[in-house]
Amino acid sequence: MNYLVLAPIVLVMIALRFTRLNILGWLAVWWIAAYLAISYGIEPPLPSSIIGMFMGIVTLALLAYLTVRTDDMNFVKRAAIRFLTDKKYTLPLALTVIALPLLAAFNVYLDAAKAPQPPAAGRTVHPPPPTEITFKGKKIDLVNGVNPYRELQAEDPEAFRAHLANGRKVYFQNCVFCHGDNMEGKGLFAHAFDPLPANFQDPTTIAMLQETYLFWRIAKGAPGLPEESTPWASAMPAWEHFLSEEEIWDVILFMYEYTGHKPREKEEVH
Amino acid sequence: MRRFIILYLGLMVMPIMLPAQEKILGTEAQREAGKKIYDQKCAQCHGEQGDAHSVATPFFRPQPRNFTSGIFKFRTTASGELPTHEDLKRSIKNGMPYTGMPPWPEFSDRQLSDLAYYLKSFYPDFGEYGDVQPVALPKPPAYSEASAERGRIIYEENKCLDCHGNSGRGDGKSAPTLKDQWNQPIRAADLSKRWTFRGGPTRADIFRTFTTGLDGSPMPSYNIQPPEDQWALVDYVYSLGQSERPNYATMATAKGITEAIDLGRGRALFDDAPPALFPVAGQVIEPGREFYPGVNAMEVRAVYNAAEIAIMLTWHTMTADTLGRNSPLLPVAPFDPQAPVAQGGEEFSDAAAVLLPSKTPEGVEKPYFMFGDGKNAMDIWFADLAKDTAEFFVGRGSKNIEPAGNGGLSLVSQYEEGEWSAIFKRSRVKEGGLSFEEGNFTPIAFTVWDGFNRERGNKRGLTSWYYLYLEPMHKESPLAPMAKSGLLTLVILLGIVAFARIKYNGKA
Repeated sequence: MNYLVLAPIVLVMIALRFTRLNILGWLAVWWIAAYLAISYGIEPPLPSSIIGMFMGIVTLALLAYLTVRTDDMNFVKRAAIRFLTDKKYTLPLALTVIALPLLAAFNVYLDAAKAPQPPAAGRTVHPPPPTEITFKGKKIDLVNGVNPYRELQAEDPEAFRAHLANGRKVYFQNCVFCHGDNMEGKGLFAHAFDPLPANFQDPTTIAMLQETYLFWRIAKGAPGLPEESTPWASAMPAWEHFLSEEEIWDVILFMYEYTGHKPREKEEVH
Repeated sequence: MRRFIILYLGLMVMPIMLPAQEKILGTEAQREAGKKIYDQKCAQCHGEQGDAHSVATPFFRPQPRNFTSGIFKFRTTASGELPTHEDLKRSIKNGMPYTGMPPWPEFSDRQLSDLAYYLKSFYPDFGEYGDVQPVALPKPPAYSEASAERGRIIYEENKCLDCHGNSGRGDGKSAPTLKDQWNQPIRAADLSKRWTFRGGPTRADIFRTFTTGLDGSPMPSYNIQPPEDQWALVDYVYSLGQSERPNYATMATAKGITEAIDLGRGRALFDDAPPALFPVAGQVIEPGREFYPGVNAMEVRAVYNAAEIAIMLTWHTMTADTLGRNSPLLPVAPFDPQAPVAQGGEEFSDAAAVLLPSKTPEGVEKPYFMFGDGKNAMDIWFADLAKDTAEFFVGRGSKNIEPAGNGGLSLVSQYEEGEWSAIFKRSRVKEGGLSFEEGNFTPIAFTVWDGFNRERGNKRGLTSWYYLYLEPMHKESPLAPMAKSGLLTLVILLGIVAFARIKYNGKA
């Protein structure tokens, strides 16, 4: 949110409440305000295709508002007809009839002059997991499964600390190169990969996932991703070739410990 | 009795000593706060005892700093001296680009300070000699071409090229023999990539680096006189680097040409083609891992004519390794963290490859960027730089790569002053395979092997998928579509006006 842009817009709209503006002016001000708010009021900026979509919706909403009252409709209709037929508007009408085709042509020119863009691939960042996976011949239940060492946190803190220490070792010998020292996805090699390595400090990654989901992503890596998550481009290794089951559970414990996030609880099915 | 006198004298001096010591070593509370951060964020690499004995140490080159040695690279103090408090804070805050040491912008000034106090406790001499004075580091005068030109002479006089090379690409004749204080191999900086400078990319950073030297590394300090000459050298080094930040691309554009593609022209063939620089990472994804790749970026240019396409890869490497052999098929033993770093030898040559889908992809699906997969095969255009012919492989995964002749590829390569260039040429059309069509985007990736680093097989540097775009030779004029859309709008508008005037004229 860019409040420096949004605040004046809101102020102008409040001021508008106390003026006697006809419906056409009112619609125009609303449309412009919505455009400014969507284009410049949101951080990070939205892509132009999304802005176009939102403005389409805003336009339709304003038109719908216009049709609610017959007085307003008639007012606009009369204004339009006057503009098109009254002799006193001949000059602005002629200018509009010349200017709009020129604008359309200019738009086509801008399109042609644009640098070519490579095909964009949408990508699902957190695809739905399978219900179970096979890890080195052993079935692992991703829906009802739990991290087998999580319970040690309460029952045997000493043993839990040993698992954390092991997870720390696993992280700093395997994950750190891409996911980085501070788990922000800014490791030594991160800049060379697309998609970028996940940022675990971000509250929208491991904080909203179950530990079993992490186990799936770590064990099966990019090659285990479904099609909509571009498995051919992700650099996440399938760690089942390098790590044991215990090592993966340990590094998951460590990732939550280091970032201070809590894993999502398993869903209760009623 | 004597003991009491000493104690008495000690107590007399204490109040004077303490504040001085505190200025350098901090208070117990500050060191304690620093230790808390250190144990969580730093000890994994620098060791619990600050001695760089850690789980991560063998995986990084350069290795994490051993704080018990009292040797610090980045200082504002004279060579051999300890760093100032601010020096330590700066190094933590900015990190060292292209090493395992990241920047820590999230630490507050106070946290940085606490950490610096704690780091000093690993080396007792800080207490005695830690009150160091920085050398004079003047404000940089304005950059000038003339000064940079004169700097070239200073660069030669001070034998900078022995390590950094004639063109500054880190390929000097002594470069392959360089070792640090701990007998670990170390590479001379590639001065053409300022963004990799560990001590920072600005002119002030360059000035500080050669004035104070990088202790523990083979980079000495230089006392260049008169002072104008110091800035001349700075300006020359600065002029070698392209920019402060790398200008990495997301696609390479192939330029259409009308003349024949004559590989005999070498690099000149690509004079009009725009360069695209792609970052190279170590292959740490599958067995045969490369934690410290010898190459960190690859520049790509391409041209095409009616019949053929040529792609030139250029990259910097310290030595031209043209002895031995290389191939994506060569086996690699698993990484052994205990083994000393192996490098040199004449067993493996330098090599590079262009990776492409074996068939023009429909939609966005591509082969797995690690040499393809069972569903989508990958074409591997391979150049073993010990040979002068190209090889061709088809990959269906790293363990499933098959040689397939030369794939209709021609190759020329050249090594000059730290830079390899390898040019592949092929017919644009391939029956039943990948064809390059004008106006199309083709997925493309690259891989590079540094023979000196004993890279081969899956131990290599690699890039992600990018795109190669064949810019149409004749750009269609937008005039016709412009006129069409303009006229259409005009007709519609006139229609509306006419309708309104006939229906409502005088009645509104």
